Amino acid sequence: MKTVYNRQKILQICLFLVVFVIIGRLFWLQVIDSDYKDFARNNAMRYMVQYPPRGEVYDRNGEFLVQSTESYDLMVIPRDVEPFDTVDLANTLGVTAEEIRKALDKARRYSKRRPSMIFKQLSKEVKLKLDERHPVGFYTQYRTSRTYPRKIAGNLLGYINEVDEATIKRDPYYRMGDYIGKSGIEKSYEKYLRGRKGVKVELVDVYGMPQGSYADGRYDTLPVPGRAITCTIDAGLQQLAEELMAGKVGSVVAIEPATGEILVMASSPSYDPDKLVGRDLGNNYMELLRNRRHPLFNRAVMSRYPPGSTFKVVNGLIGMQEGVTLPGDLHPCHNGYTIGRGVKCHSHLSPLNLVQATANSCNAYFCYVLRDILDNRAYGGITRGGFDRWREYVKSFGFGRKLESDFWDELAGYVPTSEFYDRRYRGSWNSLTVISLAIGQGELGVTPLQLANLGATIANRGYYYIPHVVKKIAGLDSIDARFYEKNYTQVDPKHFEPIVEGMYQAVNVAGTATRFAVPGLDICGKTGTAQNPNGADHSTFLCFAPRDNPKIVVSVYVEHGRFGATAAAPIASLLVEQYLTDTIRRPEMMQQIKEMNIAYPMYDKRGK
Amino acid sequence: MTNEVNKGGGGRLFASDIDWWTVGIYVLMVFFGWLNIYAAVYNEEQAGIFDLSQRYGMQMLWIGIGFFLAISILLIDGKYWHMLAYPFYFAMLGVMLFVLLFGREINGAKAWLVVGPVQIQPAEFMKFVTALALARYMSAYNFDLHSGRALYYIGLIIGIPVLLILAQNDTGSALVFAAFFLMLYREGFGSGLYVVVLMLIFLFIISFLLEPLPILFIVLLLCLTAQGAVNRNWRDTLRYFALVLLLGIVLFVALTFLGTTVSLYHAMLGGVALSVPWLVRYAVRRHVPNLWQFALLFAGAVLFTGVVDYVFNNVLQVHQQKRILDLLGIENDPHGWSYNVIQSKIAIGSGGFLGKGFLGGTQTRFSFVPEQSTDFIFCTVGEEWGFVGSLGVVLLFLFLILRLMRMGERQKEPFGRIYCYSVAAIFFMHFVINIGMTVGLFPVVGIPLPFFSYGGSSLMAFTILLFVAVRIDASQYDESARKLL
Repeated sequence: MKTVYNRQKILQICLFLVVFVIIGRLFWLQVIDSDYKDFARNNAMRYMVQYPPRGEVYDRNGEFLVQSTESYDLMVIPRDVEPFDTVDLANTLGVTAEEIRKALDKARRYSKRRPSMIFKQLSKEVKLKLDERHPVGFYTQYRTSRTYPRKIAGNLLGYINEVDEATIKRDPYYRMGDYIGKSGIEKSYEKYLRGRKGVKVELVDVYGMPQGSYADGRYDTLPVPGRAITCTIDAGLQQLAEELMAGKVGSVVAIEPATGEILVMASSPSYDPDKLVGRDLGNNYMELLRNRRHPLFNRAVMSRYPPGSTFKVVNGLIGMQEGVTLPGDLHPCHNGYTIGRGVKCHSHLSPLNLVQATANSCNAYFCYVLRDILDNRAYGGITRGGFDRWREYVKSFGFGRKLESDFWDELAGYVPTSEFYDRRYRGSWNSLTVISLAIGQGELGVTPLQLANLGATIANRGYYYIPHVVKKIAGLDSIDARFYEKNYTQVDPKHFEPIVEGMYQAVNVAGTATRFAVPGLDICGKTGTAQNPNGADHSTFLCFAPRDNPKIVVSVYVEHGRFGATAAAPIASLLVEQYLTDTIRRPEMMQQIKEMNIAYPMYDKRGK
Repeated sequence: MTNEVNKGGGGRLFASDIDWWTVGIYVLMVFFGWLNIYAAVYNEEQAGIFDLSQRYGMQMLWIGIGFFLAISILLIDGKYWHMLAYPFYFAMLGVMLFVLLFGREINGAKAWLVVGPVQIQPAEFMKFVTALALARYMSAYNFDLHSGRALYYIGLIIGIPVLLILAQNDTGSALVFAAFFLMLYREGFGSGLYVVVLMLIFLFIISFLLEPLPILFIVLLLCLTAQGAVNRNWRDTLRYFALVLLLGIVLFVALTFLGTTVSLYHAMLGGVALSVPWLVRYAVRRHVPNLWQFALLFAGAVLFTGVVDYVFNNVLQVHQQKRILDLLGIENDPHGWSYNVIQSKIAIGSGGFLGKGFLGGTQTRFSFVPEQSTDFIFCTVGEEWGFVGSLGVVLLFLFLILRLMRMGERQKEPFGRIYCYSVAAIFFMHFVINIGMTVGLFPVVGIPLPFFSYGGSSLMAFTILLFVAVRIDASQYDESARKLL
């Protein structure tokens, strides 16, 4: 039976072939092609993000500046939605039925199967009401939202909002709908405040109904709450500063010189940080953005002001270090500096020494000083090193560069370079060309923070700590090491005493700010009246107190506030008094300052 | 022939006569199958394995009854089956007719007989009795497979149940009856038929998958290869192929130059037509009389693909077209017809090499695959036991089928051989169609995987099918041993 034997073999061969094909297919599906594992995961697992509460922010005395409160986002899975009472839901949420319909449509367009957030930051009460009604297809998701008990320091604290597309692309931590700090401390310390999201892997069946946790929660992670941050701000002082700055545009920065801790950082006009929370964030944000006085612009670290007379002390210090100025050197003032185009000055005694010149803010004196520095033959004159040397000194005070504070939006300001003048004057310029630098005018641009830092440097007699706004991060032993380092300027500490004396006399003996002395507080200060092309002079005042072992440095900059003594000095003086004595013994002065309104045609002339 | 040794009558069973390999594979399959049913319907609340409200509980009961049946069959003399073949066959036909008239419709198939709480699907048992009847008929003394009469009766024995099952709207079960053609092939049925059928299936599939021009070349090459193999004139065959190509291209270029547009396909067809004189001349000169057969084969194949195209476009309904396109992987509709297959492939594919472990399958437990405990039980195997488990199941089936074939071959009587081969073929069909559909190699046809799928009827039927074979084998062995004495 040869044929039958063959047939049996053929059948067997066919059987083996078929089995081989099936095994090959199984091997392909199960071992080689990994797509099916992903499909299965998408099929059966739902990754539920567990949001951590965001870290809270305290002021230096442990008072709440930012609180995290429970809030809930209303999520919807369009596919699962069953007919519901739209009007009732609208009433519960406090929106119109039309809005709900629109939100649902949008969610449906995004995905029928995936959850979309349709209303955000609902209060706990609304959430409870929703739970009672329990509309099918909707669920609420725990989030935190921010509240600001003191309603101060909007720009300093910053705000949070949903992450944008670009950030999501850059940082894999963030997912659509996450909140992220957008400015201020919220942004600088985002990494600590946000905590860590947890994830709960839930199994879902073919209908999308949850079927319990995956692998008994072995792959779940708990959310790690954000770290609380204690900042260096003194809430009471900050509030007073903001009140004093009301009606004025400008900025106040106060620093504790012994540590570099920022006690006050007020940018005026400010805004109520509660406005940038919740459902109205978008509208309020646009409103603030449209405000011509730019309340969202943190002037304390971002604006570039001419420093004015406060800068004279820097030149004085450089002069002494260079040996071209001695504290006893006398220079005449003929109602100004008469060489070249000349620099005007107010009338005062003449000649003056360095201390008197500082106290009286004599323009002419510092013109002599600057020219002596710049034209020092030892360095071959101004264009061959003299200017650059001066610039190096100035930079060592923290001007013309970022201070590396913990403000993400800090700007560098500007100190001109010799190349800049070479370009501008086609190489033909000398110390007289740049004489306005002597009195803090000209091409200089500084931020109020840099000015305050100058104050701290003088208060410390020669060094500063990088100003910073965070004192402690919960759970961490210390903040960044750079904030604990003394930064010396290129001027030897021994040269600072005459300047301190001058600033002391300016307030307490015979100078530009004697009206704002407070007995017993030994305020040392320097007024500044900065000319600018936009309108009236800027009023600035830089002071520290007490003279020995200073506790506070205040730098006030009031745009177009005229003389330093008009607007800035009283504000600084009141703040020092409040900080050191905890009381204000000059209520009428405080009242007057609070009510002082400065007209800003340059901001307000168009529109509102 | 007289046997004094045999005191207990002709049906005495010796344990050593039983093919324990087959029994072992059976037990292994049944329990592994039960584990997978348990996994497929498992939920935390009801975990008692004998809970009759759950499928695994019921299946356990069926397994118990199955064992009882198996032992009973082993204890009954194997010779009775020869005797009972026709009565059983006709009785089952009666039951089938009854079901067709009074049965219950489940999942679109009016194939269920409901007796109290038990639902029986007689079609499962129909395979068994048909196998018996065929074995009986074909083992008759005067049986001649190649007589017209034999063909007629075989056609009837297979055809009547198939028609009844088709009338019940149970296409899957009807398809399984094709298994008997494998048995018939073993018994010496004309092999030409199988070649033609395979070729038609091949042509049918490629007529969808390929453009006309490649089909033309494939058919041409196949015919030429077959011709070359039969007549052993490879060099002339190659020359002829070159000639056809040349004629086709010349025709194409010439017609293009004359300004009439003609497709390359038609040009090549023309080339083939123009080559006919050479072909005739060659056939006459070299005395190759069978050339016309191959010419006819070629013409028929080309015509067939054309007809398939025409029928598909002009006769079939849109949904039928879709289904065919879907089967062939040309179109996909993940939410409609191919949902099962996609989910099934996901479940199996996600198992990986070692699987997710018993009760660890996510696709399995959350019913992503419809019909998971019945027709798609292999998904559970694939997901929870991985490639290793799937391979194990496939190999178990391979061994079972090989074993049955071997049992058939060692039968002295044609009855036993035919029956064993029928059983092997039935298992083969179920195995290939069921696993083939779960891995996307075969269209979704609702038939169970023997011993794995949930269902009393199928488990009973397969148990009976298998153990009758084991019993016949054992008694045959027993008898032959006694004959030797």
